Amino acid sequence: MRRVSRSTWDSLTVPRRCVCGNPIRLNDLLSSSFSTSSSSSSSSSSSQSASLASPTRPSSIPTIRPLSKPRAIRPFSTTSSLAVVPKLLPTQSAKLAALHGRLGLPNKYPLTTLGRALIDPTAEPGHHLNNDGLSNVGNVLLGYYTSEYLMVHYPRLPYEILKAAMDGYIGGKALAAVGKEWGVEAAFAPGETVDPGLLQFNRVAPGTPLYKIQGGVGFNIPRKRNRMVPNFENNPSVDAALLAESPEMREARESQRPGQDATTLDLAMSNFVRATVAGVYLHSGGLPFTKQFVHAHILSRKLDIDKLFQFEQPTRELSRLCVREGFQQPIARLEKETGRYSRHPVFIVGVYSGEEKLGEGQGSSLPEAKIKAAISALKGWYLYSPVSGADLPSKTDGNPTMPFAPAVIDVGDIVS
Amino acid sequence: MVVRGLQAVSKAQNGVGAFILQCKRLEFNYCEMSGSSRGMKAFLKTRLATFAKDNPGVEIVVSPRPKKHPIIRGSYINNREKVVCVRNLEVLQVLQKAELLRDASGVKIKKINKPVQSLNDSVRGIWSPYHAKGEDVYKV
Repeated sequence: MRRVSRSTWDSLTVPRRCVCGNPIRLNDLLSSSFSTSSSSSSSSSSSQSASLASPTRPSSIPTIRPLSKPRAIRPFSTTSSLAVVPKLLPTQSAKLAALHGRLGLPNKYPLTTLGRALIDPTAEPGHHLNNDGLSNVGNVLLGYYTSEYLMVHYPRLPYEILKAAMDGYIGGKALAAVGKEWGVEAAFAPGETVDPGLLQFNRVAPGTPLYKIQGGVGFNIPRKRNRMVPNFENNPSVDAALLAESPEMREARESQRPGQDATTLDLAMSNFVRATVAGVYLHSGGLPFTKQFVHAHILSRKLDIDKLFQFEQPTRELSRLCVREGFQQPIARLEKETGRYSRHPVFIVGVYSGEEKLGEGQGSSLPEAKIKAAISALKGWYLYSPVSGADLPSKTDGNPTMPFAPAVIDVGDIVS
Repeated sequence: MVVRGLQAVSKAQNGVGAFILQCKRLEFNYCEMSGSSRGMKAFLKTRLATFAKDNPGVEIVVSPRPKKHPIIRGSYINNREKVVCVRNLEVLQVLQKAELLRDASGVKIKKINKPVQSLNDSVRGIWSPYHAKGEDVYKV
């Protein structure tokens, strides 16, 4: 234990408990700026944080102690064991307060809720203490705002592309990226001494097959009717991997029930982001502010919708489209070419419906250019976006009498 | 059967919607005894509380670092750190360094040749010899 002169500390008026063991977090002092307005909420949420804090500890601890008060005990001077370090309440964690400030959350959003959003069900099974319910609410809100945004902006998007775009915005990977870009760090392991500003979850034991993780990527293929599902139980490669593992790894793996006791960083992070959105809805102004939050943090991200298409028979699809819409049958015309007999020929093909040019493609062979022209025409159709812009249905959430410009409703996908 | 969706993940454009300050933590280290920490200690006593209040998104940590020059260490969202030695600096100079670290993105310093970086495609498109007209036509 090193000796530290008191002069600087005393002038800082910081809580003494931090003097030697932990570095002092000045935001502890400043958390009052966040939590002053949430005094009622902290008392209401004291039941939530009861298991986080020891039961004997009062819920409201003055962060600034009087300077003249003599210190009776210095628990940190006896040992460096983590058990003697007092547990931080969510309102005392500098990391949590900094995350709150970084996200620009209003003062009405209590730190206890943000702290709860950071606790994964795998770390704390109690539903009133973890982010399980919050993340479900957040998922619904995210789905609502993302789907209405996509459907109003791209009314002709095929259903499969709409699903892919939704996944690109609010899928697990995208939300995990959001969480990481918010600067959220994960605790090594959940526990009572962990700072409340860290994401707490139980990590998957090494060697656990991915298909055993709930909502996991990789092998977790949703079972569909009449669809062959790979048989992992009798798969020689999986069996070989399982045989090669050490007894400890096997024990660790088998002690976990799949999807309930352990999760991955990405899944836990995405649930945290969903829970944060739900907290915005619950505490800071309901739907209008949630919409603003989702648009600012999720829908402002860059996703190229036109790169999500994978066509199987674009020329045939374009032909069906023209039949359905009553256009003349599409005809591909060679517009320009160069070097037909050279190593690098280039053909420019336009696809026309009567006099109207629907699309244009460039390729090193005539079929390639023709297919690209059809794809260009189809994307032009599918990615139609109203220029004047329609109102999102959520515009009337707060006030049903708001003037509202309805969006285009498309006939639907082209079936051929 | 007709069209299938490909998987993609949206990319961040910090500042387009919300802006996330990239500096997540500032650690102030000083020495109680040595003279090179004089300005740093005065900064901690007089300026730090205001600085922390003005920057609620930054976690502020103060800890002694005996027998060493005072430093400010910034931790960033991209998991990099930036350290500035503030020995013998006056209060305002220390504040300047703290603001420099707060405003930094944490990215390794490199020369930026193009003034604009964007994820969006060029609005004007790429010049094509097949679509040029008049004198712009590319002649072999």
